[in-house]
Amino acid sequence: MKESLLEILCCPLDKHDLELEDAEYDGDEVISGTLVCSECGERYAIEDGIPNLLPPDMREETPA
Amino acid sequence: MDRRADVRETYDRIATHFASTREYAWPEVESFLERVPADLTGAGTTGLDVGCGNCRHAELLAARVDRTVGLDVSRGLLETGRARALERDFAVDLLQGDAATLPLAAGVVDVAVYVATVHHLPTRESRVTSLDELARVLAPGGRALVSAWSTAHDRFDAEEGFDTTVEWTLPGGETVDRFYHIYSPEEFEADLEESALDVREWELSSGNCYATVGVDEESPT
Repeated sequence: MKESLLEILCCPLDKHDLELEDAEYDGDEVISGTLVCSECGERYAIEDGIPNLLPPDMREETPA
Repeated sequence: MDRRADVRETYDRIATHFASTREYAWPEVESFLERVPADLTGAGTTGLDVGCGNCRHAELLAARVDRTVGLDVSRGLLETGRARALERDFAVDLLQGDAATLPLAAGVVDVAVYVATVHHLPTRESRVTSLDELARVLAPGGRALVSAWSTAHDRFDAEEGFDTTVEWTLPGGETVDRFYHIYSPEEFEADLEESALDVREWELSSGNCYATVGVDEESPT
């Protein structure tokens, strides 16, 4: 993802701003890192360039 | 398990085959985009495709707006969208997300398409919430096209909306069930009415309900 996308992204849960942590870049693309909600602290992984902004209960690793 | 997660798993399983059968954009989407007011396209504008799948409609948005965002619940489908964008040389920012809890700030989207997606959400509450979410992210004066599969389609023999599963058959013959809520036209209109969206135009076409919607520039009631 492009870092400029942060301007329009927000936490899906409480709609507060996200902050980028541990970013790794390929040119102007963020290929991995974590988006962290500035309010609730929920963490969203950027996996191979695509942020996973599903609410936590819809993520793959969540037990049924 | 939540059925919204089931939909994600289903589309992850069938993503490659599904995307290969969804080559062409729908004419109703092309027609909607041709009629979008000029001030919603060009420099500084943002387009959004909710349930973008292989990005066939995000591709049309990308030709008109400055920044195109493609959102889908299925990582597998997003990968097919990324492949299409590379092959066809258009730019799209891909997000994995849920239509009923959009990870986008309020008022940032000028033009949106939300086609053939809302019918995969399992409850009326989640479907209306997703329409409210679309209203929230649309800029004042923004426009969106919403569509859902309808009882008006030839394959259904029902007057009222209903929940069902529709099989997807993979090349090896294996079938995968997909959840759908099939809308009656009246019910589609009622859900839009219930939401924060304002309906501008409405039509039935090819067995689908379509609505062109926006948010009033006046403060909502």
